[in-house]
Amino acid sequence: MSLLSIRNLYYDNAPAWYTLNKKDIFYLGPVNFDVHEGETFSIIGSNNSGKSLLGKLITGAVPKSAGEVLINGEPLDNTNRANSVRMVFSHSSQSLNPGISVGRMLEEPLLLNTTLSPSERFDKIRDTLRLVGLMPDHYYFYKHMLSDGQQQRVALARALILDPKVVVADEPFAALDPSVRSQTVNLLLKLQAELGLAFIFISHNLGIVRHISDRTLVMHNGEVVENSPTQTLFADPQHEASKHLIHAHLAMLKV
Amino acid sequence: MILLDIRNLTLEIESNGVLVKALDKVSLSICEKEIRALVGESGSGKSLIVLAISGALPPQWIITADRLTWRGQNLLKMNTSERQKIMRRDIAVIFQDPKAALDPSVKLGEQFRESIPDELINVRWWWQRRSEKNQIALAQLTRVGIKDVKKCLNSYVHELPDDVCQKFMIAMALVSQPTLLIADDPTRGMETSTKRQILSLCKSLNHNSDLSILFVSHDLLAISSIAHSITVLYSGQTVEDGPLESVRRKPFHPYSKALMDSAPSFRPELHPKSPLTALKGTIPTLQHLPIGCRLGPRCPRAQKACVNTPVPRTIHKRQYRCHFPLHIEAEENTVDNNEGENL
Repeated sequence: MSLLSIRNLYYDNAPAWYTLNKKDIFYLGPVNFDVHEGETFSIIGSNNSGKSLLGKLITGAVPKSAGEVLINGEPLDNTNRANSVRMVFSHSSQSLNPGISVGRMLEEPLLLNTTLSPSERFDKIRDTLRLVGLMPDHYYFYKHMLSDGQQQRVALARALILDPKVVVADEPFAALDPSVRSQTVNLLLKLQAELGLAFIFISHNLGIVRHISDRTLVMHNGEVVENSPTQTLFADPQHEASKHLIHAHLAMLKV
Repeated sequence: MILLDIRNLTLEIESNGVLVKALDKVSLSICEKEIRALVGESGSGKSLIVLAISGALPPQWIITADRLTWRGQNLLKMNTSERQKIMRRDIAVIFQDPKAALDPSVKLGEQFRESIPDELINVRWWWQRRSEKNQIALAQLTRVGIKDVKKCLNSYVHELPDDVCQKFMIAMALVSQPTLLIADDPTRGMETSTKRQILSLCKSLNHNSDLSILFVSHDLLAISSIAHSITVLYSGQTVEDGPLESVRRKPFHPYSKALMDSAPSFRPELHPKSPLTALKGTIPTLQHLPIGCRLGPRCPRAQKACVNTPVPRTIHKRQYRCHFPLHIEAEENTVDNNEGENL
């Protein structure tokens, strides 16, 4: 039985019938896939293929038009969403609030979604900070006091603090330098091994995708064109769009 | 022939009353028809070097250099108009983030017409100038591979996607027919196929029009596909310099090794989902620079001697600055160490 299943997910931004200027409607779907526990699932595709949108649809940041997102067989709605699927946004440095400390940033999801007492919340935050490789003292830090890699870790801590089963990460490595990126990759791999998390990755960096993911989904113009195990996909892409992406990547490897 | 020659460039910035060396004895040279990659993490001073070459640094920052020459002319001793002339005709710069570098309030066509040097327009009457300029713009933009040129020239920056803006920047830089193109992170945040287009454009320009390129980036995959030689920069110090292929196969400096290892694409033997090798910690901030070799606190091979700044040593066209280099035989290594201590 799969952890997260997406069934016939559709999206379009068609305007209401009385709107006069009806152009640029983006259609996405149908999307069908399953994610198992402890699995890393990657979504790749060219620009404007709807990768990030799919991530937001899964987490519910953008309302879907039709279809179902099931977690352990239960439909995902406002009552169980926050505790099971969490998102790490692209540009994590911009998604952090510069006006409040890291501790308060992490406390907010706990206040809204749990009934923990203040001291329990404090302990939980310290544990989570330690889990992502920060120090408990970072509770009192503000965003501008942290480096890029540390900000990335805070964004990850914010996603992990409610003990989710699935984490959706949109371009988590795009803004990071090579050595910090390797550290973050290692951290994600470690967390996955320890907590049995399922990751959904949205990325441009095919080198990393190939390294960390079990299955890969290729999107093109809002449609899923290929869904296969990563190694199979990189060895033998079937659809034109995936061939285009993967051959461009492999051509750069050759010197 | 060496076009641009930089030796021991030091840039000092005053911060809270103390002079901080943002660049510490950086050496770099670019020959004719060469593509040289300048690699380093953010905050390592890559963009500062670009600004120092183009003369766009704020006047209160102190630049000292043994040599900073363009075809043998000293750039630091030059007056402003001479330097501007060189920047106008011989060196072209593509700055980071094209959307921020282009003027948001003027249509792209207008910006392009302004960037065409007067010498290239030889028409008889003034009313022919505009159409001549448009002809040049059309030809240049088609050359870099922009599909809908008319639409591009009639748009503002915010109306176009990133990769078109990037190509537009390249076209604008190339219109003055420069000898050297400095590209500051031209492929950042791009998807693979667009990146590939930009890279093959650079490559063909280098091949067909003998353009030298200084390619500043931290994308190792992109670099390895086009560059001939590489200079690795860490925290304002050059740590290694040499032909790309040999540096990639046998890095001498521990930092270059860490950099090469950080790209899983280079290591097909690596098992999927196995941990990557990474250096601990992050790049130091300007306020807290370590003394001596700046990699010191993060380096797995660091020893006592590393608190002295290593001198550059040269082996087979390659230069490195490290007391305890990798891939060099033990006896040679010990000799080097003694030298280091004497200094």
